[in-house]
Amino acid sequence: MSQTNEAKTEKTHEGDWDAYIKAYYEKPVSFKSWSGYDVKEIYTPDDRSVEDYGKNISDAGTYPFTRGIHANMFRGRLWTKREVVGIGSPADTHARLKYLAEHGGSGLNTIADVTYEMGLDADHPWAVNEVGLTGVNITSIRDMEALTKDIPLDKVSWSLITASTAASVTMAQYVAVAESGGYNLAGLRGSIQNDPIHFRYCGFRPACPLDLSIKLGSDVMEYCTKRLPKWYYTTVNMYDLREQGINASQEVAFGFCIAMCYIDELIRRGLDIDEFAPRFTFYVSCHIDIFEEVAKIRAARRMWARLVKEKYGAKDPKSMQFRFAVHTAGCSLIPQQPLNNIVRVAYEALAAVLGGVQSLHCCSYDEPMCLPTEKAHLQALRTQQILAYETGVTNVADPLGGSYYVENLTDRIEDESLKIMKQVEELGGMEEAIRTEWLDRQFESEAVKRQKELDNGDKLVVGVNIFNTEQEKTTPLGVQRVSEQSAKKQVEDVKELKRSRDKDKLKDAIKRLRDDAGEGKNVIPAMVDTTKAFGTTGELLGTVREVFGYSYDPMETIESPFNW
Amino acid sequence: MVKRTEQRIKVLVTKVGLDGHDRGIKVVASMLKEAGMEVLYLGMYQTPESIVRAAIDEDVDVIGLSYLSGEHLIFTPKIVEEMKKNGLEDILLIAGGTFPAEDIPTMEKMGIDKVFRAGTLTDEFVQYIVGNLKR
Amino acid sequence: MKKSIDIDDMVQRLLAGDRRAAARLITLVEDGMEKSHEVMKRVYPHTGQAMILGITGSGGVGKSTLTDQLIHKLRKQGKTVGVVVVDPSSPFSGGAFLGDRIRLQSHSQDDGVYVRSMASRGYLGGLSRSTYDVIRIIEAMGMEVIIVETLGAGQDEVDVIHIAHTCLLVLTPGMGDDIQAMKAGIMEIADIIVLNKADLQGANTSLRHLQSTLSVASLKGKEWIPPIIQTVSVASKAENIQGIDELTAAIARHHEYLQKTKVIDQIKFERVEQELGLIFKDELQKLIFKGLKGTGKKKKYINSIIEARADPYSVVEEVLNTYLVPRQ
Repeated sequence: MSQTNEAKTEKTHEGDWDAYIKAYYEKPVSFKSWSGYDVKEIYTPDDRSVEDYGKNISDAGTYPFTRGIHANMFRGRLWTKREVVGIGSPADTHARLKYLAEHGGSGLNTIADVTYEMGLDADHPWAVNEVGLTGVNITSIRDMEALTKDIPLDKVSWSLITASTAASVTMAQYVAVAESGGYNLAGLRGSIQNDPIHFRYCGFRPACPLDLSIKLGSDVMEYCTKRLPKWYYTTVNMYDLREQGINASQEVAFGFCIAMCYIDELIRRGLDIDEFAPRFTFYVSCHIDIFEEVAKIRAARRMWARLVKEKYGAKDPKSMQFRFAVHTAGCSLIPQQPLNNIVRVAYEALAAVLGGVQSLHCCSYDEPMCLPTEKAHLQALRTQQILAYETGVTNVADPLGGSYYVENLTDRIEDESLKIMKQVEELGGMEEAIRTEWLDRQFESEAVKRQKELDNGDKLVVGVNIFNTEQEKTTPLGVQRVSEQSAKKQVEDVKELKRSRDKDKLKDAIKRLRDDAGEGKNVIPAMVDTTKAFGTTGELLGTVREVFGYSYDPMETIESPFNW
Repeated sequence: MVKRTEQRIKVLVTKVGLDGHDRGIKVVASMLKEAGMEVLYLGMYQTPESIVRAAIDEDVDVIGLSYLSGEHLIFTPKIVEEMKKNGLEDILLIAGGTFPAEDIPTMEKMGIDKVFRAGTLTDEFVQYIVGNLKR
Repeated sequence: MKKSIDIDDMVQRLLAGDRRAAARLITLVEDGMEKSHEVMKRVYPHTGQAMILGITGSGGVGKSTLTDQLIHKLRKQGKTVGVVVVDPSSPFSGGAFLGDRIRLQSHSQDDGVYVRSMASRGYLGGLSRSTYDVIRIIEAMGMEVIIVETLGAGQDEVDVIHIAHTCLLVLTPGMGDDIQAMKAGIMEIADIIVLNKADLQGANTSLRHLQSTLSVASLKGKEWIPPIIQTVSVASKAENIQGIDELTAAIARHHEYLQKTKVIDQIKFERVEQELGLIFKDELQKLIFKGLKGTGKKKKYINSIIEARADPYSVVEEVLNTYLVPRQ
């Protein structure tokens, strides 16, 4: 502790060398991992609790995949360098996608705005102020057309980040556009986040009632199993959970518990685990503690393989492979001395690559200030490219495997995660833990703990509680703004579309959607047709919501226009 | 440790619009409570009107707004206007969240007394509130 | 710290229904400011008619969502509603988390509803004495029904059961132990028992427990046997909300019973008696300590008790004889 306080007073006036002398003798202040686990001075062969290499670790590409899902890892193919894009209108977002592609980005990745995730059309009274602020706004098929304009959908891999129940609409809109463009659905590659359960904890509870989340989430999965065999149709979002302040073990445990909600539902629908498990992917956080994050990823791979094989009886090794994308930890970045964020992101990305990531988004340094500027976005992509092409970390699969420390930490995180999963089971399962708000309480107490660690100096963050300097007056590479014009036009376009579309055709489509939902059928085919008939995001979701007994409008402000 | 205040201070903390990032404001609410304040937590999906009505009914000393989705320049003028309309000039208005440095003077010009960014320690905002009440 | 205010003007505005004035005056009495007596003297003549409804029960049983539902019903009946929600103050920091209003925000643009969240400020079970005054102020602003929501369970001197005309005790399934523990006092606390979250497992068992507890009471020949109303006060689907009509009807029945049997007069008498006692106690204490101030006697008395040279009873007698009218 005393070192912290000394370091805080960073005296730099001429002639005072005390600070330098003290700095010379500095030691680390904490001997704990980020998640709070005590760490020893050195790890030796005695600390390898895992004795059986073949059973518990094994080579990359073989069960239980602790060291990676492919034998040759990055020698076969580098990870997908997939920077998240989502700003203003579909046209604005399209422009940024194009820019990144021109600079070596290798995967398209678009994120929905808050209004879309909530299931509101751009002209909804709650939406008009916030169109495009946090992502791309998509209200009708016209928007999806604009977003995908001139992009060969059969050649690219597209990651669609819509997490809420609106993911069902996103899938329908994407399929509608692909079909209209003459593409064979079976050839489409990409992923959709489609994890409405976790999104309850990201402020989207009105759009994600539990039963509807499982229903619509599973409809997308079931539909894709049958129609888009190359599509990854859920990305269980452990990242967002971690951002709530929980630790590495909780991230894995809660993520797996949510994944099991969907698995159980798909099995209930009569699907075989090997039919769908290979299409499950995960979105993982990489925080700043490099070794712990690598250990977490390794533990998650081993746990997933065992879970799917032992609990669900999978036979296909592809089902047992934990495929994941990494989003570097947004919550580790700060607006103070913001260029330092580039360094933080680089360490976090390094952890992801050492962990054997399949797809990576590096946060831009301006994450805690605004949407990424073009320059910041490019810089984040460059971080990935430096890792991929300069550092040599791609040469060897699981380079930290066999480290006494990392293997020990891997075991530790596995143990802790399994303990938490057992606890959830004892509570009556994840749905029960959600209903009783047990999960809410976990997030709340952990988040407060994180703040106290900073307040008390138990965790140090340069620019927050150590080496502070005066606040900057400007943002180094400028500020990204969302165009007001684009947002306004987005709202006007939707209004015009609603005036001009063929009402009878829409009526028929809505009626079928309502009937299918009422009869318990998979609603995605009807959603695709309704989208083609110019039904909008809010109209599709609202219609299904009503059938399930919920208000048409998640914000309870407007009524259904289809009250006939 | 957070220094505690003996004074009775009632703080309304809330979000406005659709922004779903409520983790930070919940933490702030907890820390203010620990600092001895009475914290009225309104949570998400509030409007300028619903915030101001609560501030009136509850006779709060402070309103704290949380913005994390770039909506700060849109909603701040609306809230300040609603406060003025109702004669709430003696309430301390603070905001926290993610903003570019360039927007801080703008927000202050719009009527926010103090802007706190991510990475602020508890003591800083607690001491600010205690030292800057307007009544 | 707080600016001085013109009390006459404030009270005039209060009586005209000005919520800002009401809010300010409530703060004044909450903070126990000197001026609060002057405020209450002016407010009192305009009170006494409102129906006061207490809602009590442990944390997490759904009091706020029940209150929300009741407000909707009462507003439909054309009644104006005041709500006082009391949350516990932290014994460590003195701070409080007032998180119930969030569930009442759907009424935030309704001028016929006034909601005030209060911290219990040191009174563990729920209410501080100022709650009496707060209720009167809300009444004076024109609210016809006042709902007081608190964690209290009848153990405290100042409790919702001493304030409300009709008291709802809210329980949930699986609270068997709590019910068991309360057995003795349940009748004293509750005029109506609400078994909320009646859609949860174990609701039937809890219902049977309650019924058997109450049947013992009915044998004792009580006039009013608390009905047990099963409710579901929160559901993501509106169609799943249950029992609110039945609850409103039960409240109306209890209200009628109070009027018809004139029990209401007795309740009002007891309430004022209680209130008067509490004010006497506070004011006497203030008066006596004021008298002792600067004499050094308070310290002397306390030390003499510590050193066993005196006992508190003799000290009080002596002080009362000195500073108040000599006793007979």
